[in-house]
Amino acid sequence: MNAVTVKNLSVILGDNTILNRVTFDVPKGSLTAVIGPNGSGKTTLFKALLGLLPFEGTVKIFDKPARDVLDRIGYVPQHFDFDRTLPITVREFLAFAKPAQSKQDKEVCHETKVDELNDKLIGQLSGGQLQRVLIANALMRDPKLLLLDEPAAGIDIEGEKVFYELIDHVNKKHGVTVIMISHEINMVYHFADQIICLNRDLVCSGPPREALTREVMSKLYGQQMDMRGHTHV
Amino acid sequence: MMDILALPFMQRAVIAGVLLALILAVLGIFVVLKRMAFLSDGIAHASLAGVAAGILAGLNPLLVALGLGAVLGALIAWLERRTKLAGDALIGLVFTGGMALGVVLLAFKRGYQPELVSFLFGNILAVQWNELIIMAVLGFAILVFLLLCYKRLVLMLINQDLAHVAGIPIAFYQTLLYVTVAVATVLGIKLLGIVLVSALMIMPVTMAKLLAKSFGQLIVYSVVAAELMVILGLLASVTFDLPAGAVIVLCGLAMFFVILSARALIASKPAKR
Repeated sequence: MNAVTVKNLSVILGDNTILNRVTFDVPKGSLTAVIGPNGSGKTTLFKALLGLLPFEGTVKIFDKPARDVLDRIGYVPQHFDFDRTLPITVREFLAFAKPAQSKQDKEVCHETKVDELNDKLIGQLSGGQLQRVLIANALMRDPKLLLLDEPAAGIDIEGEKVFYELIDHVNKKHGVTVIMISHEINMVYHFADQIICLNRDLVCSGPPREALTREVMSKLYGQQMDMRGHTHV
Repeated sequence: MMDILALPFMQRAVIAGVLLALILAVLGIFVVLKRMAFLSDGIAHASLAGVAAGILAGLNPLLVALGLGAVLGALIAWLERRTKLAGDALIGLVFTGGMALGVVLLAFKRGYQPELVSFLFGNILAVQWNELIIMAVLGFAILVFLLLCYKRLVLMLINQDLAHVAGIPIAFYQTLLYVTVAVATVLGIKLLGIVLVSALMIMPVTMAKLLAKSFGQLIVYSVVAAELMVILGLLASVTFDLPAGAVIVLCGLAMFFVILSARALIASKPAKR
């Protein structure tokens, strides 16, 4: 069964076609990575999945329109722009998103190491700490589908590895379907079951070792780019 | 001091001031969170059209201005969604349009308008019981709304996408917030006047931000700062026979610099070993 079914999805804003007739499925329980160059429509894809943007085509999440299953979706946005001078603690922020917190939510905070940040102000967190808080916020909704928009941005290499292990744990142990936008091809190779390559059109989809060919990388990032250009190890 | 407080007009002024300070200070947090400090200023100026229409039609200008303010708040929220234009540009549009309409309407009324002057610069010492009842009823409704919805409102103002995923109907809550800010602003006109009312939304939260270490503290400190501004300002205005609205704002400004100086002084002291 599919967690997400997308058929002929197009997003056109003004005269600009951001996504052009994109079709793919995301199997339930999979960890799927979305890759593509800047401006290729990755974030727009997420916004369309969530019903935040008008689109043409069909988007079904657990066989229903997104608006009917929002309570089963956790989302970590790419940009989290807010007035950093406002004194809001991590504990308060998490309570705004989920006022009644359970024992399970405390476990989520422990697992994401957010419990040690509880009394810190969100405006004073580092990029990595803020990402952890946003992920905890998403997980506290006990989601069946987790959408992560460049979640490792702003995290150092060591933190990045820990982060991907956490996502892998959430996916494998808790059975949460994860769709993640990422630029880290090496991590995608290691952790993702499936990959979706976007560059306005769907360039490739499938298991990373089959889908990520030299030709696809060239289509996505230009002639000079190959897989070695993105590896860290 | 007690003699002054025994006077009925002063009692009404203190009750109105304390109530409005509470409402405007709490709402000011949401205005600042939305980065729309200009919203209350714009609504206040645009409500001149309502005041003028009320004076011309022989109706209660406060009630007409309240109705117009609510409509304008909803209009700004609707235009923001429909046009995707920047909020401050839309507020500027409504601000100048409402003010211009007010000036044109007032041109039909000849002679000096004492009531108009009291709306422009505020005259809390002239607050009547019927106006106090309007303030109390609407103020209570606003506080109940904020108490029930503040978590949803804060999440919406921090990040609309997260709020959408959390199932919060953004358009509904945004419109409700704008209407609430508009109504509270028009209520505040009686205290500080069209020209100065936004000060009571912006100054307390600005002072509180200098001291607060959590959102809870921000609310408490904002309210305390607003109440101090109003009470000190009222007492000073009666003692020195000066316009109440302007003195309240100057009190707020003085308090801000006192807090800023105290913070700098504490920060400059070397920590004890």
